[in-house]
Amino acid sequence: MKLYAKLFVILCCAILLAVSGTACSKKQVKQEAPATTVPEESDLNAKEFVEPSEIDPALAKIFKDIYFDFDRYNLKPEAKKTLDSIAEWLKNNASYRVLIEGHCDERGTNEYNLALGERRANSAKTYLIGLGIAEKRISTISYGEEKPQCTEHNESCWSKNRRDHFLLARK
Amino acid sequence: MKKILFLLVINGLLVSAVCQAKVYIDISSPSSRRLPILIPTFKNTGGELDRENLASKTPQIIADDLDFSGFFKIIDETALNSSTLEGLTSDRIKWDDLAIVGAEAVVTGGFSIQGGVVSFELRAYDAVQGKFLIGKKYEGRREDYRLIAHRFANEVFRSLTGVDGIFETKIAYVKAIGTDKEISLADYDGGNAKQLTNYGSLCLNPAWAPDGKRIAFTSYKDGNPNLYIMDLARGTTRLVSKKKGVNITPDWAPDGERIALTLNLKDGNSEIYVLHERSGSLERMTSDQSTEVSPSWSPDGRHMAIVSDRSGSPQIYVLEVATGRVRRITYDGSYNTNPAWSPKGDRIAYSGMVGGRHQIFITTPDGQIHQQISREGNNEDPTWSPDGRFLAFCSDRSGQKEIYIMRADGSGQKKITYGRGNKSEPAWSPFGSM
Repeated sequence: MKLYAKLFVILCCAILLAVSGTACSKKQVKQEAPATTVPEESDLNAKEFVEPSEIDPALAKIFKDIYFDFDRYNLKPEAKKTLDSIAEWLKNNASYRVLIEGHCDERGTNEYNLALGERRANSAKTYLIGLGIAEKRISTISYGEEKPQCTEHNESCWSKNRRDHFLLARK
Repeated sequence: MKKILFLLVINGLLVSAVCQAKVYIDISSPSSRRLPILIPTFKNTGGELDRENLASKTPQIIADDLDFSGFFKIIDETALNSSTLEGLTSDRIKWDDLAIVGAEAVVTGGFSIQGGVVSFELRAYDAVQGKFLIGKKYEGRREDYRLIAHRFANEVFRSLTGVDGIFETKIAYVKAIGTDKEISLADYDGGNAKQLTNYGSLCLNPAWAPDGKRIAFTSYKDGNPNLYIMDLARGTTRLVSKKKGVNITPDWAPDGERIALTLNLKDGNSEIYVLHERSGSLERMTSDQSTEVSPSWSPDGRHMAIVSDRSGSPQIYVLEVATGRVRRITYDGSYNTNPAWSPKGDRIAYSGMVGGRHQIFITTPDGQIHQQISREGNNEDPTWSPDGRFLAFCSDRSGQKEIYIMRADGSGQKKITYGRGNKSEPAWSPFGSM
């Protein structure tokens, strides 16, 4: 009996420890082992790219801007439709490369928006790769909130600025 | 950049009394009273006509400096009897008159202009005891009067408080020119503003090296947001990072050899890295699926404040450099960004969204106390003065983005930039900057 009591106490302690342990680990931050992944060197020169409409005015209807919600970078159904058409065109015009510009509205702060713009450009890039476009044909650049399309301070303007914009260059 | 200033300083000018190390203002005391100081119009003691009105402009800069510090009350000169200050030296000052207007310290100044050169003779006195505190003689070009005024304001500040003033420090910032943005530089009070870059491109995120002689910044001039370092003394600019994606938000480590910055992984997910400037080698600091950006080192180099959206919205975290461990310090609101660790280490300033607008907040590194210190308009991008007593930030309260300065408790808010084009992303220089 004594032994059982002892075991019971030990068991209780163990449970308590485990519970408090999880509680603790929830409050405490998770540990991140710094990894060594280093990004690749960039060979992008955005100045080589032009507006699709300069190549052919009809392309403006295919390479339409796609839009995002505030502080979000997920693709909306409308955006996916646009990207489907862009992918189709890129498949038929293998001599062209595309540059995806990620943009944000002025409501965020400048530095964070530079990071968010890169996310937005990459959302479109990942989707295009998924549709079979070669990764090497797709470049991205974030302009954050630094190149607004529309400069008024209201939601109708902000919603136009939260966008991916597309440019083309010949290989 | 060539050295623009010719400045001769003669220490201990006509000094017979050696000033004692008496502290008139204890600036560590939270209830410090403002010391009443009189800084009357300077006297033109000979030479050419004072066409630029240095007689008024120079003492006004000294008065503005001391007033902004929050430790001085500037006494109105018009209350003074015209015969009170017949000369610059103590035998020509009627001390009893100064007592009547309540002055406890007085600055006297004389100058003369010969050709392009102006000579100033500046003194400060303890007006209660009629005692000489400090005197300096400066020579410079006429356009150097601002620097000379700031330098003497530092002397007065030091002799009355025992600590260094920030009146000769600078603020680098981003200025919009059409659709481009260029790095600009001005005195801490906005004077002597000049454009540093002229790339006809986007130049962003200026950050000072601890030596005050170099500025790291991001530019799109070569077709990708790369990181560059500008050497202010040599006038040269060097590419230091051109990784795929962004090379942004540099912050120099206190050792002056490493730069924390933000780079992208393949999917556009940004992470904090540390770049060893000399070797070019990179150390990765964070590893998460979320966006990490805007590192700001603690002054001991052991931590960084960063922004991460791992919780679903951008929040401030403190990262331990040795282990990569992070601790969240902001919980209120859904948009907290722009952390800036104070030079003393005891505070972190940031901008947090309240009611749809960004405001400047100050917290402790443990995130226990949060104090909002701005209210009007959107206020972003706080940056500390090197003594940790003041902040510069960007505000749109005037209808366009401008740079403002204030005391760290939010008092004394003052616009320092003017003219066309938004100004943003101020970076306050260390002491002894170029």
